[in-house]
Amino acid sequence: MNPDYLKQKRILLVDDEQELLDMVVSILQKDGFQNIKTAKTAAKAIAISETYQPEFAILDVMLPDDTGFNLIKRLKSTFDYPVLFLTARGEDDDKFRGFGLGADDYMVKPFLPKELLFRINAILRRSYKDENPLVKLPGCEIDFDRAEVIKNGKHISLTAKEHNILAALYRNAGRIVTIDALCEAAWGDNPFGYENSLMAHIRRIREKIEANPSSPVALITIKGLGYKLMVEGK
Amino acid sequence: MKSVLKLIRRFVGIMLLSSALLIILNFILLFLYTVSQLPNSQPWQTAQEVADNLFQNDNGYVLPEDITFELKKNDTWAIFIDNATMRVVWRTDNLPETVPMSYSISDIAHLTRGYIDGYPTFTGEAENGLVVLGYPKDSFWKHMWPSWDYSLIANLPKTILSVLVINIALIFIIYIIANSRLLKSVKPIVGGIQSLPTEETIHIKEKGLLSELAQNINKTSEILQSQRKQLRKRETARANWIAGVSHDIRTPLSMVMGYASQLESDNGLSEDDRKKAAVIVKQSRRMRNLINDLNLASKLEYNMQPINPARQNLVAVVRQVVVDFINMDIDDKHPIAWETDEALTVCLADIDKDLIKRAVSNLIQNCMNHNEQGCHIFVRVTTGENNCLIIVDDDGAGATDEQIERLNHSPHYMLCDENTSMQRHGLGLLIVKQIVAAHGGTTGIGHSSYGGFSVKLALPMQE
Repeated sequence: MNPDYLKQKRILLVDDEQELLDMVVSILQKDGFQNIKTAKTAAKAIAISETYQPEFAILDVMLPDDTGFNLIKRLKSTFDYPVLFLTARGEDDDKFRGFGLGADDYMVKPFLPKELLFRINAILRRSYKDENPLVKLPGCEIDFDRAEVIKNGKHISLTAKEHNILAALYRNAGRIVTIDALCEAAWGDNPFGYENSLMAHIRRIREKIEANPSSPVALITIKGLGYKLMVEGK
Repeated sequence: MKSVLKLIRRFVGIMLLSSALLIILNFILLFLYTVSQLPNSQPWQTAQEVADNLFQNDNGYVLPEDITFELKKNDTWAIFIDNATMRVVWRTDNLPETVPMSYSISDIAHLTRGYIDGYPTFTGEAENGLVVLGYPKDSFWKHMWPSWDYSLIANLPKTILSVLVINIALIFIIYIIANSRLLKSVKPIVGGIQSLPTEETIHIKEKGLLSELAQNINKTSEILQSQRKQLRKRETARANWIAGVSHDIRTPLSMVMGYASQLESDNGLSEDDRKKAAVIVKQSRRMRNLINDLNLASKLEYNMQPINPARQNLVAVVRQVVVDFINMDIDDKHPIAWETDEALTVCLADIDKDLIKRAVSNLIQNCMNHNEQGCHIFVRVTTGENNCLIIVDDDGAGATDEQIERLNHSPHYMLCDENTSMQRHGLGLLIVKQIVAAHGGTTGIGHSSYGGFSVKLALPMQE
């Protein structure tokens, strides 16, 4: 998969502190993002949203003319692009409110640039995967839309569970996903006692995606903890 | 109202005991008094004694000197009435002149039962007549008239017992009626006093015998309520102040952290400068953790942190924390090993997932903070007796026995109102303890078998 198309996304950044705006812009630019607009007020954010048509927004909660919660409501009523809250308000209630209003993620300041970039990339990957449905692994490609693995020119179908497990791994590509999170992705909330079934599914996925399933390079086991999916370019 | 019943029982007990004691005491006194009165109560015997000792010689009737002396000493006179003539044939010298010298049968019956001219008289039977002793006027009250039905005397013990029982019952009823008002007044007072330690507002009706007491209790309750309100207000203000400061510091710290982080990875800078930037990043991360900890600790301390427990698999929760640390890839000096037995896949507990994740994160972070040169961290979930145990060990510097003792038992400076210089350890462990305590669990701090520090959290297990 070529992730460069995600770096072309138009990003709207809203915060009342100019220095913070400058810093986040520099973090994003350094990671390859080119199309960034900033706003210091909710009114300006609305105006930019109408003309610039952003594809992703980072919002502060405390703005001089309104709250970020009201702003997201107004934005979501007209536009449908992912939003990440980046705010100093770290109370659980604020987080729940933000997620309840349709935010895709909620980050509390202060933050490490690395973590901010990981979250932005994860949101963009999740939101715009349809634009580039082929995910490139070391030995094959996955087409999530068609639920297929393309290995050596052959199309191999994925079952629903295998698809869900692979999707959960892909959302966190390059990072460990716990056994429990994968069971949850395949069997729903609070799954107990599915560890052996998960292992069976992982084995079958490996047979489909790995060149040599007995020494996997794309889907790696982290003993006792979970699995990691290695995606090219990540 | 256990105490009111106890009070009634105690009152009735004391009353019955005192009644019984009073009756026994009265019987003893009566007995003693009667015994003390015995010498004077034997005039009939004295009369018989005189009759027995009066003998006849050639000169007439003679009474021995000692008896004569005794009679005189008691100012008692005596006569002897002959059976045949019904006349007085012998008399003592002190016989009053008004005493007749001859008697009819009806006179005899009269004097036996009563008096001769106001002198109480007692008779003794001699061989040929009757000896009559006359005691000084007003020395005895003779009451020779009454006679009782036989069955009355035969049933006397039963009657006395019944009367006693009826008396006691009557006293009891009178007591209950008389005290019911008092008890009625006491009951709300006792209830009020018992409710004082709770946080509810108390209002007792200020009526009845103990209205003054009720007033004072109401007043005390008002004072307590107002103090609680003040305390709560102060605690809220303090927690809000901490929350406000930590909020205000977040944005500036973001910039310090963000730019320093950029500088740290800027290849255009010298190695030395990048190291300096790394120190700034590290220290600002410490500050961020401190702000988060301070805020949460104050909220937990003042019960302002909502705890939303739900049934969770602790193995999954702790595993996620470990994975988050590994995924963050903060540095490679602190590798984390997952030591949970593979056979243990589920350990259920009712927990607030976010708070428990925070507690475990704090423990792992602590291992890193206290072993800057690096150490291995070992995380394990296991089961104890009705407990889920989370154990975080390291093979780092560890702590002395004294330090561990202090961590286990001394209050944190945030919770301590004295000698704060002795209590300075981080907030991380305090929060862990607070979170675990809020879940009904325990925190144990000790030496690790790996050579460093060990913290064991025990949380109640659910089936």
